[in-house]
Amino acid sequence: MNRNLTLLWNGLIPENPIFRLALSLCPAVAVTTSIENGLLLGIAVIFVQVLSSCTVAIFRPFIHPRIRIPAYVIVIALWVSVIDMILPVFSPEAYKKVELFVKLIVVFAIIISRLELFASKEPLVPSFFDGLGMGIGFTFGLVLTGAIREFFGAGQLLGYDILGFKPLLVMILPAGGFFVIGFIMAAFNWIEYKLTGKIPASGGGH
Amino acid sequence: MKEIIKITMSLTAICVAAALILGAVFAKTEHARKDIEEKMQQETIQSLLGFGPGKKIPESLKIYAVYRYVVNSPKGTVLGYVIPLKDKGFSLILVDLEGKPVQVLPIKADATAIADRGQRDAVVNELVGKGSKATYAETFYVAEEGGKRLGYVVPGVTQGFKTFINLMVSLNPDFTLTGIEIVRSEEDPGLGDEIKKDFFKNQFDGKSLESIKTLKVVKEPLPSDYYLALEPEKAKKQGIKPEELAQIKEKHLKDDIYALTGATISSRAVTDGVKNTVRKFVYRLGILTDALKQEKVPAAFLGEV
Repeated sequence: MNRNLTLLWNGLIPENPIFRLALSLCPAVAVTTSIENGLLLGIAVIFVQVLSSCTVAIFRPFIHPRIRIPAYVIVIALWVSVIDMILPVFSPEAYKKVELFVKLIVVFAIIISRLELFASKEPLVPSFFDGLGMGIGFTFGLVLTGAIREFFGAGQLLGYDILGFKPLLVMILPAGGFFVIGFIMAAFNWIEYKLTGKIPASGGGH
Repeated sequence: MKEIIKITMSLTAICVAAALILGAVFAKTEHARKDIEEKMQQETIQSLLGFGPGKKIPESLKIYAVYRYVVNSPKGTVLGYVIPLKDKGFSLILVDLEGKPVQVLPIKADATAIADRGQRDAVVNELVGKGSKATYAETFYVAEEGGKRLGYVVPGVTQGFKTFINLMVSLNPDFTLTGIEIVRSEEDPGLGDEIKKDFFKNQFDGKSLESIKTLKVVKEPLPSDYYLALEPEKAKKQGIKPEELAQIKEKHLKDDIYALTGATISSRAVTDGVKNTVRKFVYRLGILTDALKQEKVPAAFLGEV
């Protein structure tokens, strides 16, 4: 398979930021109370991740290795601020919904870890696809978690009433986020165990 | 030593580059952003007054903005109101904290200058004179349709679960609530954020001044018939007639505010915010009306407020 496609796929399932790398769990738990919230945050993350990865990949030779972390933080903050300023002009309605989340992205562990682990070592094109894959994987994780929590916690999907009652209110409370992510993580590990016969190594989390 | 200088230079260069990009983007978008904010605010005000999609704004509708300032002078604190006049001019009326009018000052500035926050602040500060400082507090709106008082739109702020909640309430001339809108809030999505939903906001509709004073938040489930009456679009889908909904609303008019599930603090915050906003506004409007009468200010909106 083409390497770029492999990188995309890698971010989606084998190294899914939430379920396999266990990165950026705080925002994943905090905002995934509905599909819509998860999707909006995910899209914002895709943009910031791709733009930051590309910037770091291009300016790699100019970033002194000893100040790379502050430099990455500045790059991420730059793109987050730019999106925060441009979005209300292009789409005020969408901005109203994501306003809360956009500014949070600066501190997402997944973005800085991809810059450090991938974009700082690889050229522009693979960095782009790695950023895109990770962004999509993160969005996938948020939407899946959001769907389960919205369904059980609010009896709705995408804001439409499905059940007409709220079966498990705890699911939209923060504790429910831990339950859902824990169960999905376990499912991922179980599938990997069934497929490869190996017990998966544990990921490091923030 | 050499390396540390190199590192410092490099980091400085990165920061300067980032700052330049941010500055450029800010300069490019600032104007458009302000315009959109202004437009959205106008739309909020119109929808609170009952106009918006589905109901055209009549040409005879006039919305007057009244700007309130707090003036700190060596003699004490007074309140300043920028009032639109009949002859399209503006006037600054100073009222002391007991409600006695202190001074009426004519403003030499046109409507565009008054509408702009920075220019208005400068004009008012110049008028109150040296040694005094005027600080902008808020803007409330008086709406008139065809020479008749339609209502008021008043902004308010309240302490939410984590940050402040900015809201707007609309009142009709006898101070019955006709609607509330959450302008800005950072409540938890899925929990406190539900304060933006119709079934919560519409609970305030039709509450009279008397009932607002004793309004409470009750931790009871929202009755299902009331829920439909508060969500007219959902009721429409289920084929419930508007007359029936009006009846249900009438039945629940005396009810307190039903707390949102899992977000009692946010529900209470909004309720208290609405109560305080209305209480303060009624008091301030009374003072302002008396002052306008005593000083015979030809205000653009009707004298007998």
